[in-house]
Amino acid sequence: MFGFLKKVGDYTRDAAGAAQYMTQGLAVTFDHLRRRPVTVQYPYEKLIPSERYRGRIHYELDKCISCEVCVRVCPINLPVVDWVMNKETKKKELRNYSIDFGVCIFCGNCVEYCPTNCLSMTEEYELAAFDRHSLNYDNVALGRLPTSVTSDPAVHPLRELVYLPKGEIDPHVVPDSEPRAGRLPEQVLETLPKAEPPAAAPPANPDEKG
Amino acid sequence: MVSTSAPGSAPGLDAAAGLDLQASFETLLQGVGLSAGTAHLLWLPLPMLLVLVAAVVGVLVNVWLERKISAAVQQRIGPEYAGALGVLQPLADGLKLVFKEDIIPARADSLLFTLGPVLVLIPVILSWLVVPFGQNLLISNVGVGIFLWIALSSIQPIGLLMSGYASNNKYSLLGGLRAAAQSISYEIPLALAVLAVVMMSNSLSTVDIVNQQTGAGILSWNIWRQPVGFVIFWICALAECERLPFDLPEAEEELVAGYQTEYAGMKFALFYLGSYINLVLSALLVSVLYLGGWGFPLPVEWLAGWLGQPIDAPAVQVITASVGIVMTVLKAYLLVFLAILLRWTTPRVRIDQLLDLGWKFLLPIALVNLLVTAGLKLAFPAFFGG
Repeated sequence: MFGFLKKVGDYTRDAAGAAQYMTQGLAVTFDHLRRRPVTVQYPYEKLIPSERYRGRIHYELDKCISCEVCVRVCPINLPVVDWVMNKETKKKELRNYSIDFGVCIFCGNCVEYCPTNCLSMTEEYELAAFDRHSLNYDNVALGRLPTSVTSDPAVHPLRELVYLPKGEIDPHVVPDSEPRAGRLPEQVLETLPKAEPPAAAPPANPDEKG
Repeated sequence: MVSTSAPGSAPGLDAAAGLDLQASFETLLQGVGLSAGTAHLLWLPLPMLLVLVAAVVGVLVNVWLERKISAAVQQRIGPEYAGALGVLQPLADGLKLVFKEDIIPARADSLLFTLGPVLVLIPVILSWLVVPFGQNLLISNVGVGIFLWIALSSIQPIGLLMSGYASNNKYSLLGGLRAAAQSISYEIPLALAVLAVVMMSNSLSTVDIVNQQTGAGILSWNIWRQPVGFVIFWICALAECERLPFDLPEAEEELVAGYQTEYAGMKFALFYLGSYINLVLSALLVSVLYLGGWGFPLPVEWLAGWLGQPIDAPAVQVITASVGIVMTVLKAYLLVFLAILLRWTTPRVRIDQLLDLGWKFLLPIALVNLLVTAGLKLAFPAFFGG
């Protein structure tokens, strides 16, 4: 008899608990109904890539010295540096340079190690193609500058979450003039003591870094 | 079916029964020169067609609501381009399914394969026979109304098993078996919950069940007298419709599709349509059994009295009938909204948890609820339908 009563009590407690948790869960989902969608409607709206975005690589043929450092630091030796030795001038003559973005992993090592800074990473990420061979960019294609999201009249640019003012989570309602949360690197620099040599300057708070 | 939508039809106006659209329609045809039998025969398909259209439109609204509310809960936008706010999206979905190739797998039993979805859909549509939208606004006021619904809904597992077996696919077969097990085990607590309501209203007829709840507006609704029964019924209805948290026969994120695996095109659409019509139907029946059916939260007789209008005046009749339809649909769609919200709130149960809940929790509770209702009926016949 006692065992049965205990079972009934347990049942009741379980049921009450289930009802309570269900109500809590429903309260959460119901609360989400009144929030604005976070959707970025892609071809019409685009997020602004961050400053350090590692997109398609840009290359300037005129700066290149055909040293092949980019090939050596590349995990798969991807860049093709097509040069010939000019016997008369005893100099390398660069004929062509290409990177296959169907294979590239956008690690940025080539950009990091290029001694003449002829390589740089852009914010271009729309690299879809019908044929993978068309992703093999030669020096002309590599030299093109991408269209910026902010300058494209057909696109409504949206700021990413970390670039919004403090407390804001929806880029749709924030005007472009609103500054982002935290301080920019140059603003941090202004607060640092000027007299000291740069080497002795204390490192800025990593949280406030741009 | 007696419908009230033509306010000025004087010949069919009957002081006792309000507007009698059937009588006015038949007298009109007889005036043209048809016999009484032919006039009746011509009348018969009209309400059926109307209810079929209502059911399908209900499904379209349901699909749109499902997609929009799901999107809102997940902070997405949902369908947007097909019509204003995406209202035509369900139509586009349906059209796509209609134009898809009708595939019957090579080694499948083609007769059973075709019969399965039909057998799932037809009982659901037939059950609309007994759904009242007003005092006289239903196809037929069958004496065994709610029992008819329970009986029809137990045909569905046969269709599920049939389609699972006929697909000649072990996963389909397992899915079909699971679906059948689920339907059968949740039918019992469902029937017991209904039985408690029936006991209070002394009738199986859906019209009588609603009439028994009309005394004092919202206060006389069955939900106050049968709160446990309401919860049991709603849980079982969700399980019968294979809605989350009980959608494990066709767990879209986990399984291929259960018994629907081999289905495509219009046959798949029949399953899809069946499940959504069933959801609307269940919501309608919850509102009939527990939420006062077509009743307004305040009794319309009181409102008419305060406004100084006789309740049987034609204009008042038309207004009360439209209020009744609106209230039934509103209550049903509130429950559909709850079902959609529950879909994104609750995690899916396992098959053992599902059967545990059905047999070891809901069944005893439903039995106790029935006993307590019987006791209360004996103790307080005034409140529990003596």
